[in-house]
Amino acid sequence: MNTDTERKIRFEKLAGRYSTDLYRYAMWICGNDALSKDLVQETFLRAWRALDSLKSEGAAKSWLITILRREYARTFERKVPKFTDIETVTVPEDEELEPDARLERKLLRKGIAELPKKYREPLLLQVVMGHSCAEIAQQLGISKSAVMTQLFRARELLKSKLRKNVVTGNVHERF
Amino acid sequence: MSMNVSEFKRLLGADPLNRDPGTLHARDSGPEFERAAVEAENFERRLRSALAVNAPVDSFLEGILDIPGSATGHVAARPRWFAIAASVLIMLGIAGLSWRQAQLPKTIEKYLAVHYRFDGQDLIDRAQPGFDAKTISRIMAGLEMTIGVQLSNHVQFIKFCPTLDGRGAHMVVQTDQGLITVIYMPGTTVKDRRVIEFGNMQAYLVALEVGSAAIIGRQDQAVSAIDELVRNSINRST
Repeated sequence: MNTDTERKIRFEKLAGRYSTDLYRYAMWICGNDALSKDLVQETFLRAWRALDSLKSEGAAKSWLITILRREYARTFERKVPKFTDIETVTVPEDEELEPDARLERKLLRKGIAELPKKYREPLLLQVVMGHSCAEIAQQLGISKSAVMTQLFRARELLKSKLRKNVVTGNVHERF
Repeated sequence: MSMNVSEFKRLLGADPLNRDPGTLHARDSGPEFERAAVEAENFERRLRSALAVNAPVDSFLEGILDIPGSATGHVAARPRWFAIAASVLIMLGIAGLSWRQAQLPKTIEKYLAVHYRFDGQDLIDRAQPGFDAKTISRIMAGLEMTIGVQLSNHVQFIKFCPTLDGRGAHMVVQTDQGLITVIYMPGTTVKDRRVIEFGNMQAYLVALEVGSAAIIGRQDQAVSAIDELVRNSINRST
């Protein structure tokens, strides 16, 4: 049995390692800064209470994201509100970027927010949380091939939205 | 078995940073493959850039490590306040909100009712004597405020919480009336000493030097009794 101090140190390390990614993931799925912070805080509270059930540090990332996803599901069981203030927390535009690149980033952000959940969630798990396709499959309870199809379609949808929205040649040519 | 360009593009679309031997081998199969790989990597770089979010620098652990950790097991699910908030929004028929429009209840009456119904009792259940004073101070400092010992000595739980106007603090205070909830709302202006009732609860509003506080208790608790305590204890950091 760990002492209280060891337990706290173990948990602080865990939280330090994953809090940023969890916040980013929460922000992209719920779109509200205050709610995302609350979601992460609640995730850590539940994780802290159940820390002894985590047998391996290697499983921590998946364990935490599972808790967060359950919390999120409880939060918006019936209806997922639309994104709100994601633009207030995204990394500011780089002034050095060409106007087309800035526009493209804006359109991508909007496109990601508008992706259907079945496409957005695996994409976020892959890109934000760094999950492999196999880990995503386990997290979502679907086959790896289904995950790969959803990831492919997610990216295709984003590219398609860019093609539709961008009228200037430069961005268009990238795809 | 080797893959054709179409299969290769599909693989890259699903997992653009895949570096397994089969993918690397396919990439070397010809200029069309190489071009597809470069395009996928370029798109991925832009996608990751678009997903970048500035994470808050403050800790998410304030107050949590002071709560006794349970033994192995399931943590009971409780409804969360913004779940109820979402339901309220649905009931109000608020749909099609714009990209930047706030989702939270719009009035102090709805906010307090929804917030308290969501986790008011939950946080009272977490209250415990001897709650860490440093945690209380750190959370208030995170809001650029201080809390006097005359109040902090009686705080038995505190956490950051969403308010109508950004982040605030939700605390549970031991009083001679029993446990009472105080929600500090640094960005919200209220009419001083106004009382709002919801269900069998009441909220007594206190206008402060910075923002406001809602003192929430049951109808049979004299929540206004700690008016002066709250008013004198929550101050701007110097």
